[in-house]
Amino acid sequence: MNIKGLIKKELKAYFNSPMAYLVVLFFVLTLNIFFFFFGQFFGRDTASMRSYFSIMPVLFILILPAISMRSWAEERKLKTDMLLFTLPLSEFEIVMGKFISAVILLILMIVLTFPVPIMLNMFGSFERGQIIGEYIGTFLLGLAGLSVGQFISSRTSNQISAYIFSVVALLFITFIGQITMVINVPKFIDNLFSYLSLSTHFESFEKGIFDTRDFSFFAIITCLFIYLNVKVIKLNK
Amino acid sequence: MIKVENIDKIYGKFKAVDNVSFHIGKGEIVGLLGPNGAGKTTIMKILTGYHYPTHGTAILNGYSIYDDLLKVKESTGYLPEMAPLYDDLTVMEYLDFMADIRKVPKSRKKAEIDRVIQETGLAPVINRSIGKLSKGYRQRTGLAQAIIHSPDILILDEPTTGLDPNQIIEIRKLICDIGKEKTVILSTHILQEVEAVCNRVLILNHGKIVAEGSPEQIRDQVQKDDRFTIEVAGTVDVQSLKALEPVTEILSAESKDGKTIIKISAQKGTDAGALIFDWAVKNGCRLSALIPEQTSLEDIFRKLTNQTEV
Repeated sequence: MNIKGLIKKELKAYFNSPMAYLVVLFFVLTLNIFFFFFGQFFGRDTASMRSYFSIMPVLFILILPAISMRSWAEERKLKTDMLLFTLPLSEFEIVMGKFISAVILLILMIVLTFPVPIMLNMFGSFERGQIIGEYIGTFLLGLAGLSVGQFISSRTSNQISAYIFSVVALLFITFIGQITMVINVPKFIDNLFSYLSLSTHFESFEKGIFDTRDFSFFAIITCLFIYLNVKVIKLNK
Repeated sequence: MIKVENIDKIYGKFKAVDNVSFHIGKGEIVGLLGPNGAGKTTIMKILTGYHYPTHGTAILNGYSIYDDLLKVKESTGYLPEMAPLYDDLTVMEYLDFMADIRKVPKSRKKAEIDRVIQETGLAPVINRSIGKLSKGYRQRTGLAQAIIHSPDILILDEPTTGLDPNQIIEIRKLICDIGKEKTVILSTHILQEVEAVCNRVLILNHGKIVAEGSPEQIRDQVQKDDRFTIEVAGTVDVQSLKALEPVTEILSAESKDGKTIIKISAQKGTDAGALIFDWAVKNGCRLSALIPEQTSLEDIFRKLTNQTEV
């Protein structure tokens, strides 16, 4: 695979503009403000980081589209996709190149949150396994969100609409399970909705439960949207 | 090098390319000429693998666009219309990226980048971000990425738009140099460019090839007569001129400032110029000008592309 060059370029494009820095900064700040300030972490006096991670799904709805929005929409706007698709790379390699570079940014964001649990560890006995599980869940949730966001970005030619559509889509698939709290639906639809909801699957990670069903759910969503992205690009040729 | 057979491209209901076939050999520089929307860019998009044709096939460098698209892409360099580039990267970063993707070996990468920078005159801007470049430098950056891997086939969509006259001459020279060993297809609507650079022209209109050949051949095909303009002192008996054997028509005759200017159409290849001169001598006319007129490529272009107008 010759996608190293593409990943390098994508990362340079992220970090040559102020966008990536702002997104990372916003993520880390918001997360910690909610956790310490609104979440009253010290006031509660509990050695659990669960509320640190329970904000993730909501925060990711706002953050992930900001990372993924530019990946394709910008190519379309600058018309560089004309050149990109004539380079000796397959459609799959191009989609993966873009996906992997967004994932690298996601990893960077997650790594920047490490100091908090590491420092808090000094104040009390935290359940390490739970925190690791929560991080794995966060990462998987991020992968799924980015694949959805990039798929939407590849269907739009402007970053703003890519962002808005992605936020709406993520909002929907994150909280589809909660819809049934408001409206009355038959039991099986309730089950289906809550199965399809990202937040349902994230919840078990949040509790520190590592269930392969949740793992495979995120994996399926990620692969599905990467596959769709490749397919749609090929169909449009 | 390039073999295109019966390609069609249909976007929805619009037929952008209509049953086009052509062959291009090694060392040829071929111009695609045509009004906007004639299908030039679409043909280039098919040759570079951006689009598949609706019907028909194309073979580049021995590789089919269906079976060996990656090989096709490896052997071509492409400069799309308006030179789309990543505004956030610097010229150097961009060329480095292109060299990586184009599989330029690591050991030669620096040398190749230096070569294209030198050939396209990019040295003054290599560390500037592309978004801040002038139109001319953008175009040159676009050209630089297209030749960084020394492709066998170079496809250039309007390579000289936005350049100033000096740059145009430089770039044309570069294209001519490349065309000595490689195959070049370029599209343009600047007709002098075709005459200056191309060995062969394909004139397109409404997705079809309406004329093909060297600029001279096309001129020969389209121009049905030889034309002359003469200037004679005083007035002349136009009838006697018309009676001359090869003269088929007097197109116009007007008197101005004691001179008569006559435009004549004569049969092709009949040494009509000499006969007109003899006629003037015989009739005691003082001939102050006898100008054979060549239909310009502009006229031919207009004629060919208007003919087929629906």
